[in-house]
Amino acid sequence: MLEKLVSKRAALVAACLSGFTVSSAMAAWEPTKPIEIIVPAGAGGASDQMARMMQAAIQNNKLSPTPIVVTLKGGANGGEGLMDMQASAGDPYKMVISNSAIYTLPLANKLPFDWRKLTPVSILAFDNFVLWVNANAPYNTAQELVEAMKKEPAGAFKLGGTGSKREDHILAAAVERISGVKFSYIPYKSGGEAATQLVGDHIKVNVNNPSENVAVWRAGQVKALCVFDNEPMDYPAKVAGDKSWKDIPTCKSQGIDFQWIMLRGVFLPAGVTPDQVAFYQDMLGKLVETKEFKEYLEKQALKPSDLKGAEMVKFLEQDEALYKDLMTQSGFVAN
Amino acid sequence: MEALDSLFHGFGVLLTFHNMVLMLIGICLGILVGVLPGLGGPNGVAILLPLTFTMDPTSAIVLLSCIYWGALFGGAITSILFNIPGEAWSVATTFDGYPMAQKGEAAEALTAAFTASFVGSIVAVMLITFLAPWIASFALRFGPPEFFAVYMLTFCSFVGLGKEARHKIVISLTIGFLLAAVGMDTVSGELRMTFGSVELLRGFDFLVAVIGLFGISEILLAMEEHLAFKGQEAKIRFTVVWRTWMTLPRYWMTLLRSSAIGCWLGVTPGGAIAASFMGYNLAKRFSRDGASFGKGKIEGVLAPETAAHAAGTSALLPMLALGIPGSGTAAVLLGGLMVWGLQPGPLLFVEQKDFVWGLIASMYLGNIAGLIIVLATVPLFASVLRVPFATIAPMIIVSCAVGAFAVQNAMFDIWLMLGFGIVGYVFKKIGIPLAPMTLALVLGDKAEDAFRQSMIGLDGGLGIFWSNKLVGTISTLALIMLFWPLIGKAIDMIRGSGRSAPGAASSGSSRP
Amino acid sequence: MSDDPNVGVDPALVSTRSVEVVVMALLLGVAVFLGWDNLRIGAGWAPDGPQAGYFPFYLSVLLGGASVVGIVSALRHPDLKDEIFVGRSAFGRVLRVFIPTILFVFLVQVIGLYVASFIFVALFMIVIGKLSPWKSVLTGLIFSALMFYVFDVQFNVLLPKGPLEAAFGF
Repeated sequence: MLEKLVSKRAALVAACLSGFTVSSAMAAWEPTKPIEIIVPAGAGGASDQMARMMQAAIQNNKLSPTPIVVTLKGGANGGEGLMDMQASAGDPYKMVISNSAIYTLPLANKLPFDWRKLTPVSILAFDNFVLWVNANAPYNTAQELVEAMKKEPAGAFKLGGTGSKREDHILAAAVERISGVKFSYIPYKSGGEAATQLVGDHIKVNVNNPSENVAVWRAGQVKALCVFDNEPMDYPAKVAGDKSWKDIPTCKSQGIDFQWIMLRGVFLPAGVTPDQVAFYQDMLGKLVETKEFKEYLEKQALKPSDLKGAEMVKFLEQDEALYKDLMTQSGFVAN
Repeated sequence: MEALDSLFHGFGVLLTFHNMVLMLIGICLGILVGVLPGLGGPNGVAILLPLTFTMDPTSAIVLLSCIYWGALFGGAITSILFNIPGEAWSVATTFDGYPMAQKGEAAEALTAAFTASFVGSIVAVMLITFLAPWIASFALRFGPPEFFAVYMLTFCSFVGLGKEARHKIVISLTIGFLLAAVGMDTVSGELRMTFGSVELLRGFDFLVAVIGLFGISEILLAMEEHLAFKGQEAKIRFTVVWRTWMTLPRYWMTLLRSSAIGCWLGVTPGGAIAASFMGYNLAKRFSRDGASFGKGKIEGVLAPETAAHAAGTSALLPMLALGIPGSGTAAVLLGGLMVWGLQPGPLLFVEQKDFVWGLIASMYLGNIAGLIIVLATVPLFASVLRVPFATIAPMIIVSCAVGAFAVQNAMFDIWLMLGFGIVGYVFKKIGIPLAPMTLALVLGDKAEDAFRQSMIGLDGGLGIFWSNKLVGTISTLALIMLFWPLIGKAIDMIRGSGRSAPGAASSGSSRP
Repeated sequence: MSDDPNVGVDPALVSTRSVEVVVMALLLGVAVFLGWDNLRIGAGWAPDGPQAGYFPFYLSVLLGGASVVGIVSALRHPDLKDEIFVGRSAFGRVLRVFIPTILFVFLVQVIGLYVASFIFVALFMIVIGKLSPWKSVLTGLIFSALMFYVFDVQFNVLLPKGPLEAAFGF
């Protein structure tokens, strides 16, 4: 799906065509009171970090005339924050940073939420998933891991991830189907927890995002086997010893033909005016050009994105269909 | 020693006029947010985080960590004066701190609380200074079974302490556990007991419950009896501080035990709240005079405060060394680190020497400065008791409401707080203890998660709690604690002495 | 409870025994309700450990059992019948705080926290504390203004606000 990522200019054109006027001059609407960034996740997690970074970058570069306030609403895996956004129709002072919870929560928990009831603004980045094992593990490639697993009884390998019936769990189930192996999936509260549990050898494998494991990777405590994407990550700088993000092979090349990326996108509530949307698109467009944001992307090994307007809606629809398909196959959809 | 060299380097980084001023500002702000119920710790740090974006990381962390120390100190003040915990971890401080204030010993109680906080923090900082790498690797040995065993130990050191009827303790515990289970279940990814309500999605926050159960209900009780808080006007002189200090060496064992408990629970994220309860309970259990706990015993103030602060301080270690926060505040600080461009994790100690040792040095200086500042304000805070009830009561109710709201920015939580206020009032009057409920509410879902995570996999089964030396030791300790009253009786019988088992008397509740 | 200073002067509104029985019965109801809900989502022991409803279900059973014990022991305890849960005038005083508090929370929802707390503090001082009106109004005003300055102006804490703040553009 990433080949479909369009260039910046094309996205602008698409946004214009879709009816959102993005003017290069100052947008007609301006905020007059603080803007709230709703984080549908707990303190210290990837979404929270992103919100804090945005808060810092927007304030340091004076991209908004009013202050930015970060509000954590992480109850029910973010369901609380999403429902709050859905109930705030017409309020242009709230934006939410969301991930794939916008699909998984309605499917797995029958949460009465639909991202179509929000106003998509833009997708700022995509997060990759990497297959990680403990540094002392005897296998160095995904093939070796799969072979080692096939020698043991099914379920002997514990795979830890964030939550249950969410992206990590769906990914683990997909790997199981493709490789014909079986993990014991252990749900933790956060990716950070899954990282330390891997270092402590309480689990054998995790599928954390790069940012969740980068610290322990650099310390030589874990090994990266492969990345679940069509192409290696585009960060050639050495990060862990002599390894860079770019050196991690794709899982496809290792015999696990599966792509899985997660959006990190911004939404406004429903019923906001095109002027207001234009302000936010303009502000976020300047945000992604700041030094802070670029450093942040590299540090977290995120994939840049400039999807917005109609392109973003199209992406969300395809992505949702993919989630629905995979979750149905794994039996995660509530009936 | 290498650690000492690094530490002195840290002091060098810190001792600039700019940083010292920031430190003082941070502590005063921290005490302020710590005093307001619900607004301390994580919230205070989160609110002030944006102020630090333009600072260099060392100054920023000095400011924020000093707010943290200030909040740690400040949480005890309202617990002692009004029986309203300013912070979740000062719930246990109310058990003996408030009775002391009622006896007219508010100044002694405050002095004891502040000093104990200081001792706990300093022990934890020394631990961080000299044993950081070793402790970080110790924390890595904790998987789900070990976590569960720790939570069990906390519960078991608690059960069998109260003098209330057994069924009332059971009621309190089960209500706490049930409330903790409301919301998203981590292990199955299913919603439980939310009944389709959006407000229940987030579950019950510990702080909202505590503010209602203790704060609001106390005002109702005060109203019923005297139209006043029962705090006696105390004559406050600075000699009180000195006199209180003179008595402290007697309690070295309590201070040491609580420090150890706190450091341990802070590093293996059990948290300051669990530490304060466990510190209190063990002090009561092993005290020669356990029966007088809950009636205004200074040991009952020292024990939870020392443990809470040792835990609160040592919780920063896993955050720095492993990137996992040991407490809510540590989680917010973690977010801050990222904003300043630092990567917490094993390499932070190697790559960011200035920052890490500056922070550690600020823990020493911040605590010393904090102690001096809070001690200087003891007369001020104790004199709050002289303000007319009709003036202070509505202000307390308003700040309770602000606190309940600020936890999760939810109007519903203010109503919930009122509900818990009624529950607290009725339960206190019919003798259902509140402490077991608060403990179960804060640890319940963590314990359940850890238990169920342990059960997953081929080795899942009850045997896993004795599958290695570490978890086996903790599990066995937990069982010993559970049956301690029986064991104590047996020991007494062997000795042939007539006195009753130390743990079997007195209540954990704040009402005499 | 026996230390109630009003024993003898304040006629009982309700006995401790009645309150205990009512509370226990309520808890029993809650326990049955929650037990049923958890049974619905699955309270068994699956191959990979307990299901989502397992612990809450058995906790509900425990709670229910303890409430039944509570009802029985309260009914069999003769002393409790004469023990005063709360006297008439004492309860009156409790309501004099609690009802305004409920109104305050309601006001917060309607007109925002700052205006509501000004009204609450000022009226509380005048009506319940019988303090002089101008002192009370001034105290309320300073208190609310200080809160607004600290939370809203200085630290951007978004507390509930109402039409008055909106009129001034906040």
